[in-house]
Amino acid sequence: MRLLVIEDDATLRESLGRQLAESGFGIEKASDGKEGLYFALEYPVDLAIVDLGLPEMSGLDVIREVRKQGKTYPILILTARDRWQDKVDGLSAGADDYVVKPFHFEEVLARVNALLRRSGGWASSVLEAGPVSLDTSRQELKVNGDAVELTGFEYRIIEHLMMRAGEVISKTELTDRLYDQDFERDSNVIEVFIGRLRKKIDPDNSLKPIETLRGRGYRFALQRNRAD
Amino acid sequence: MSSLSARLLLSVSLLLLVFFGATIVVLDVAFREAGERSQEDILDGQLMALLAAAEPDDGGELVMPPDLPEPRLGTIGSGLYAELGAQGSAPVWRSRSSLGLHVPFPAAPQPGNHVFSRIQLADGTPLMALSLSVEWELPSGEFRPYTFNVAESLDSFNAQVAAFRRQLFGWFAAVALIMLLAISLVMRGLLRPLRQIEEEIGEIEEGRRQALSEGLPTELDSVARNMNLLISSERGRSDRYRTTLDNLAHSLKTPLAAIRAVLSEQPGNDVSRKIETQIERMNDIVRYQLRKPALLVSDSFGVTSVAIEEQLRRLVDGLSKVYKDKNPAIELDVDPRAEFRGDTGDFLELSGNLVDNACKWCRSRVLVAVTPLQGGGMCMTVGDDGPGIPEKAAELLLQRGMRLDESTPGHGIGLAVVKDIARSHGGDIQFGRSPLGGAEIRITIPGQFNK
Repeated sequence: MRLLVIEDDATLRESLGRQLAESGFGIEKASDGKEGLYFALEYPVDLAIVDLGLPEMSGLDVIREVRKQGKTYPILILTARDRWQDKVDGLSAGADDYVVKPFHFEEVLARVNALLRRSGGWASSVLEAGPVSLDTSRQELKVNGDAVELTGFEYRIIEHLMMRAGEVISKTELTDRLYDQDFERDSNVIEVFIGRLRKKIDPDNSLKPIETLRGRGYRFALQRNRAD
Repeated sequence: MSSLSARLLLSVSLLLLVFFGATIVVLDVAFREAGERSQEDILDGQLMALLAAAEPDDGGELVMPPDLPEPRLGTIGSGLYAELGAQGSAPVWRSRSSLGLHVPFPAAPQPGNHVFSRIQLADGTPLMALSLSVEWELPSGEFRPYTFNVAESLDSFNAQVAAFRRQLFGWFAAVALIMLLAISLVMRGLLRPLRQIEEEIGEIEEGRRQALSEGLPTELDSVARNMNLLISSERGRSDRYRTTLDNLAHSLKTPLAAIRAVLSEQPGNDVSRKIETQIERMNDIVRYQLRKPALLVSDSFGVTSVAIEEQLRRLVDGLSKVYKDKNPAIELDVDPRAEFRGDTGDFLELSGNLVDNACKWCRSRVLVAVTPLQGGGMCMTVGDDGPGIPEKAAELLLQRGMRLDESTPGHGIGLAVVKDIARSHGGDIQFGRSPLGGAEIRITIPGQFNK
């Protein structure tokens, strides 16, 4: 999952970026409203974290413009002015949730995970499809109740696929979202990781959780379990 | 006396009273004097006629012929009386008209003098009398003193004067009335712009108008323009004040957030826990102190009427996103007659805290009702179907920073802020039980409130 952080305070932006990256997200960072809007519109983004008090262009305007351009990914606002008017303005402009400064990182992480999960259509933080269950808050994958050991990269791929279970996700999209910019982009690497994941989740090749659609991409094929 | 037009009418009435009173007195005196002069002339004429008619008789005494040229002297009680008196004896002659009456003519004046005087008959009838003493040369060559007296009743003269006065009063009263009427009409016209300004200021105070309208008469136009300047600068001032507070909050909290973020990257130890406590303290101070109700920073000029339903709708839409997982059914019941005169930010602060709390605590339902208060204002109740608030805890909750359950996220300052805003608007906050089964918080804000 690739997150965009738009925050003008450098210390906060870098620290937030580092911690989110450690939690397994790909991160884009912007330091003012204009740059943020450009990233938000031009880069593959799964969720944006937007500070309301930005130079060049206010956070509210950025959110309005992003929504006007038809982007539907979740937006989390960071606000220092914790008057309800600002929260309501932000939510009406198109944001989905808010965190009031000074926040604890865990709070931001929890909101980000909840928003991503919701945008994928999941109601709970544990994504369950057939015998496969992915606990997004613990970053833990279980098949038939048995934990499966995954590397960070493998986890990010399965999380992305499962979040949007049923949708076809192209190789380019996976590469875009899973590599950080400084990695060399090579789509063959994705094929290798998909192969490893298949072996780990489905050693006897009976479940077939990840479908390959030739020329189009991959799809997490198991039906979601309806929890509610 | 506070009304300009009443003041003007009163002073004009007083002036009219003085002027017309003086005029009436002068006219009355002049009329009366002219009347008396002509009365005296008439008496003088009568006396001359008597003098001319008197003839000495054979016995050398002066007598009056039986037929006098003035018929009124021959008519009993006609009001014109005459007498011819001789010195030292009873009158020589009395007119027929005075038959049966005693006309108290004054004592004879010095010979050659004629004297006017006022006398009265026994029944009180006022008379004007003229007496003339003469030395009459009798045929014998002897001079004898005689006194000619004529008197005429003043009844008809007084009646004339009274009629004149009545007319005078009548006309002046009519003129005064017409003048007062005309003046009050003119005043109405003149004062209409003032009344308009008064109404518009009322509307501004009630938040139904932003500024005084233009196109007033020249004298008032500059007043209105200055007033508008004052209003807008007042508004600007409170806006700037709030922006300053917001910016201050922003520039204090962002570093706090940065400190906290950096801190959370470090392995947890005693130092970071201590710093964390201090961050929390600073944050509480900033949050509470910089979120003053707008009423404290603006005055009645900045106040507008909040579109209650629209703002609540926005709030509920926003909170529905935030509580998407819980997905509570938030029901709105807003009476359009309810009014909140104040800052939209204050209204959202009140309702935001309450509805957010209700969403946090409810199981699945939240009810927000706004009803009008008698005499304007509003009563907002926010209830839920959660566990409710124990009675003892209610007062505690209103204290700054108190939070009943640390496990539910929230800063506990919310209700204290709600209380501050409600009180600063002259309102109050009460806890109760919602028909849904959980807690209900009721805020009453009166319509008219001056700091």
